[in-house]
Amino acid sequence: MIDLIWLIPLLPLVGFLLNGLGRNVLSKPLVGLLGSGVVLASFLLSCGVFAEVYTARQAGEPAVFIQSVFEWIAAGSLEVSLSFLVDPLSAIMLLIVTGIGFLIHVYSIGYMKHDAGFAKFFAFLNLFVFFMLVLVLGSNYAVMFIGWEGVGLCSYLLIGFWFKNKEFASAGKKAFVMNRIGDLSFLIAVFLIFNTFGTLEFTGVFPQAAGMAMGDTTLLLVTLLLFVAATGKSAQIPLFTWLPDAMAGPTPVSALIHAATMVTAGIYMIARSNILFTLSPVTLQIVAAIGICTALLAAAIAITQNDIKKVLAYSTVSQLGYMFLGLGVGAFTGAFFHVITHAFFKALLFLGAGSVIHAMGDEQDMRHMGGLKKHLPITYVTMLVATIAIAGIPPLSGFFSKDEILAHAFSANKLLWVLGFVGALFTAFYMFRLLSLTFFGKFRGTTEQADHLHESPASMTVPLIILAVLSAVGGLLNVPSALGGGQALANFLSPVFADSAAVTGPFHLDHSTEYVLMAVSAVGAIVMAVVAYRQYAVKGTVPKADDAPRGVLAKLSYHKFYVDELYDTLVVRPLNALSVFFYRIVDRAGIDGLVNGLGKRVGESAQGIRLLQNGNVGSYIFMMVIAAVLILAFGVFNG
Amino acid sequence: MSVFYFVAFLSIFFALMTIFTKNPVHSVLYLVITFFTFTVHYILLNAQFLAVVNFIVYMGAIMVLFLFVLMLLNLNKDTEPLKSNLVKFMGVIAGMCLLVTLAASFRLLQISDPVVLKNPDIGLVSNLGKVLFSDFLLPFEISSILLLTAMVGAVLLAKNDPKKV
Amino acid sequence: MSAIITLSLLAILVLYLGLFKARRALLPVSLLGLVATVVLYGVQWGKTAEPLYSGMVLFDHFAVVFSVVCVILTILVLLLSKDYFDKSSPHVAEYYALLLFSLTGAVLVVSFHNLAMLFIGIEIMSVALYILAGIRKKDFASNEAALKYFLMGAYSTGFLLFGIALLYGASGSFDLAAIKEYVVSNPQGISPLFYAGILLLIVSLAFKLGAAPFHFWTPDVYDGSPILITIFMATVVKTAAIAGFLRLFYFCFIPLQDFWVPVLLVMTIITLFVGNLTAIVQQSVKRMLAYSSISHAGYLLFAIVAIGATSANSVLFYVTAYSLSTIIGFGSLILVKRATGSEHFEAFNGLAKKNPYLSLAIAIAMLSLAGIPLTAGFVGKFMMFSGVLADYQVLLVVLAVINAAMGIFYYFRVIVAMYFKPLDRDAIVVSGPYRVVFFLAALITLLLGVYPAWLTGLI
Repeated sequence: MIDLIWLIPLLPLVGFLLNGLGRNVLSKPLVGLLGSGVVLASFLLSCGVFAEVYTARQAGEPAVFIQSVFEWIAAGSLEVSLSFLVDPLSAIMLLIVTGIGFLIHVYSIGYMKHDAGFAKFFAFLNLFVFFMLVLVLGSNYAVMFIGWEGVGLCSYLLIGFWFKNKEFASAGKKAFVMNRIGDLSFLIAVFLIFNTFGTLEFTGVFPQAAGMAMGDTTLLLVTLLLFVAATGKSAQIPLFTWLPDAMAGPTPVSALIHAATMVTAGIYMIARSNILFTLSPVTLQIVAAIGICTALLAAAIAITQNDIKKVLAYSTVSQLGYMFLGLGVGAFTGAFFHVITHAFFKALLFLGAGSVIHAMGDEQDMRHMGGLKKHLPITYVTMLVATIAIAGIPPLSGFFSKDEILAHAFSANKLLWVLGFVGALFTAFYMFRLLSLTFFGKFRGTTEQADHLHESPASMTVPLIILAVLSAVGGLLNVPSALGGGQALANFLSPVFADSAAVTGPFHLDHSTEYVLMAVSAVGAIVMAVVAYRQYAVKGTVPKADDAPRGVLAKLSYHKFYVDELYDTLVVRPLNALSVFFYRIVDRAGIDGLVNGLGKRVGESAQGIRLLQNGNVGSYIFMMVIAAVLILAFGVFNG
Repeated sequence: MSVFYFVAFLSIFFALMTIFTKNPVHSVLYLVITFFTFTVHYILLNAQFLAVVNFIVYMGAIMVLFLFVLMLLNLNKDTEPLKSNLVKFMGVIAGMCLLVTLAASFRLLQISDPVVLKNPDIGLVSNLGKVLFSDFLLPFEISSILLLTAMVGAVLLAKNDPKKV
Repeated sequence: MSAIITLSLLAILVLYLGLFKARRALLPVSLLGLVATVVLYGVQWGKTAEPLYSGMVLFDHFAVVFSVVCVILTILVLLLSKDYFDKSSPHVAEYYALLLFSLTGAVLVVSFHNLAMLFIGIEIMSVALYILAGIRKKDFASNEAALKYFLMGAYSTGFLLFGIALLYGASGSFDLAAIKEYVVSNPQGISPLFYAGILLLIVSLAFKLGAAPFHFWTPDVYDGSPILITIFMATVVKTAAIAGFLRLFYFCFIPLQDFWVPVLLVMTIITLFVGNLTAIVQQSVKRMLAYSSISHAGYLLFAIVAIGATSANSVLFYVTAYSLSTIIGFGSLILVKRATGSEHFEAFNGLAKKNPYLSLAIAIAMLSLAGIPLTAGFVGKFMMFSGVLADYQVLLVVLAVINAAMGIFYYFRVIVAMYFKPLDRDAIVVSGPYRVVFFLAALITLLLGVYPAWLTGLI
């Protein structure tokens, strides 16, 4: 099965080509079948690959398989091969991407049924899966960069999918710009890595890095750049504002790209490069600080939002913050564990929200929902599972993964734990607020919408049920030893993080301390859940209208702490001014000078000298002479 | 040596006059004189062929053609485009800067070895012909393409398009 | 050598065809001749190259590969020229002949082994273009472009000649081998004249390449010339200019690297920033592409800054990727302008709906110019950057990556216009030759992006 790794990304690419080229020929069912079929095939292959990795791990081997497809770029000392790396980390990622990807493809068949761009949508979705698999499977930073850039491109295409709406297109643009900043920093990091280690292969870089001194400045620079890249892709401060706007895209896209897979690429990349980060403690501290700040800020915003998808978007940003916190405190397994469980429950939440939106006729404002429990029973139950899971209430999956991160945070710095705990309280509150506003109380929409309410078709509910089961039991993957678990995931992943573990030493926390921490966070989450339920379900409070007066804090939160406005003033406007400057001074539309100038307006040209690019040969030559003088002068002083 | 300096002074002087004269016809005439001083230089360097070609082609043919064109166009002092003093000033400064840096980069101010020709007869017609038809045969032949290109181009630009029916 | 003869004769034959009014035969004959040239080069491939005609030209692998690239690009340009010239004037034969002459010059520039040939090659290449830029006699912009190009070109020729004269004065020869010998055998006693000569050659070659601060002519001339001629200038001429630049410096000046690299380094950075920053604010696609070509000149200079054994390969790859995309970019602009009369970004609005395949080709070209992975442009940039990194110019790479990111914004404006700005418009008719050119160029761009090894091992 390992020999077939190359097929895993290839199949979605084939799907993309077939759907893209045949989009006017193929019928909708065929497109849906083809689109999900290729991903299913990839998933089955991934299962096979995973099984082999698993057996190898059981046998106690590190289970690293490399398959080189061909030499990609070879120029001088630079040799980059297009090759794939399967190890425990990428094997799990493969399962997530193809598995959840498949479910979301199936879901999209129902969700996008009435859309004119059905085939185009599936083509883009397949392309996304292809690039995501390349990112995951790449055995060196260059191949990873292909995937990295590719998923950004697809996300841009898919956000702008409904491009008739101007807001959607501009959201796509924002995602694009922010991702660009990240990609840029990734590329610089890639070159720095090549410069330092002479190779880009993971298997070549990491052993060399492991021999370097703690706190090496090059490593510091590399890891900082990689981290900036990760903040772009994984929506962390300061590059997080694109993710909530990206919710303009179709809901399955939000579920696949902006919850389960692409946004976790940053965490995957850092987990992959864990040894580099472990050796530069400063970066790790920054990672942890940015992670916890993002987690809190996004959670604080989510509390007051009324758009169901916006709440989920900020919740995603917040959960990603937790993952970065985990990375920052050295809980690589914990962070990756949270990636897995988060993929389950967040995909489920988005798909559930999609089901609600579908039933409500494209209404996303929770103030117009309520009481949907009886109309959408399956959606309700599955979303309830996901909500309990994300809120961190035992024994569902979110509890275990979040707990592991918080336990590490506790041993690293008590303050981090306190902040993380506060964030968890927020999480429980806004998630139950969402659930209550949507499914409990009275229906607040129009009568037309009320007549239209219906449970979604099986193609949409079946994925929901599967994901709900996974969200419920996903925690069993890595039950901590304090609770008598075997830490299966940690053992499985241990070779990936072996180098880091060798540097930091084993993690240890008293079982009694751990019990206390678990109890505190579980009780806190349950209390907040009850508070939210009483407030919004029992009392039936409805959030205020947009322009209603609010307290200072509520206003700040409601307006997303004015981050967009801040960026606008600090970045966008100065840039615009600079562009205008260049336009006016450097390039004053050149064609108007010489011929017509001499012929018609001899006198005018004498009136003044326009600078630089004003179409006048005389001044061009003048500039050239000045430049030549400078160059010659350089020669005089240098030669 | 003193002959060289005298002729060199004359060339620069007349070159400057070419630029500073307002009347285009005078300007061309000064240019002719400048070329004449060049011819003298060539003779001093024993480059007889160049001297003759310069004399006949540049001074005799091209400059006379220029003169005719100028006279036919009836250009005179008044039609010269006005340039503000600032432009002139900038031009002068830029030109001077170029001159100074060039001179400096040759280190002319420090050393001035007397010019010694390795082969004093290189400029003679027969020697030049031999070099052109042996070592430099290819560039010599390929120059014909350059000339042909220029010719085609000149015809193309000058020719009137037939009126569209 | 037979290739140069073929090209020259072909041009003259085309002139005769024009004389006998065999207008239909012009394009096929030109194409056949060019294909024959490629074949002749192919036959030459692999043989040991000796300097010919007392060291005037040398058809080594470098020369052959770059000549073939120039010829193939010209073939693509000629394919686009069907129906293009007929509209502007009846002298089509002369236009073809001039293009072929210019190509001959370009081929000389990439295969010279003697500075005299470099000079003649550059002049043949440029003189033909001075005229071609102005073939729209009724169009002020075209006239102005021609005149500007001529005046400034003549000025830069002055620098070139002066530089060559100084090199001759110092080393006593025009021959590259002899000059190299001079540099190598006099490590201490190199005349100041020689240094000044190198600087003057940098000035003039940077002018031909369109690198800042000698780029001033580029936007105006590219903008004013007929689009087809612009394509030729932006692809073939640029290819020849950078190849000639590299050839001269690689052959002769490597031992003096410490002297001239800082100059080129500064020029490269200025070029990148001038090109990219100004391209961002353009409203016209043609002018945007003109400025973007300046920035690409900057990337091309990387190879010379980090001069070494791999430079030729990087330049070959980069210039191929850049030229193919540029052909698509400007070629589609011809079609769009014909249909809408405008060169602005808005003219591309909603194109994807009506011309999906054309839009796809343009999108691929723009992605390649922007350097997105899996296109040839990315591999080209990657090779350039890593070459410079191997030379420990980390700052340059960082600046260049920032510029690459800027570039993406303006290239994406075209894609955004095509895909995300809905507009009811009529489908653009894409004639057969255009389809062939776009298809080939886009296909090669993708193939090279996925499997670059086809091109990287050539030189």
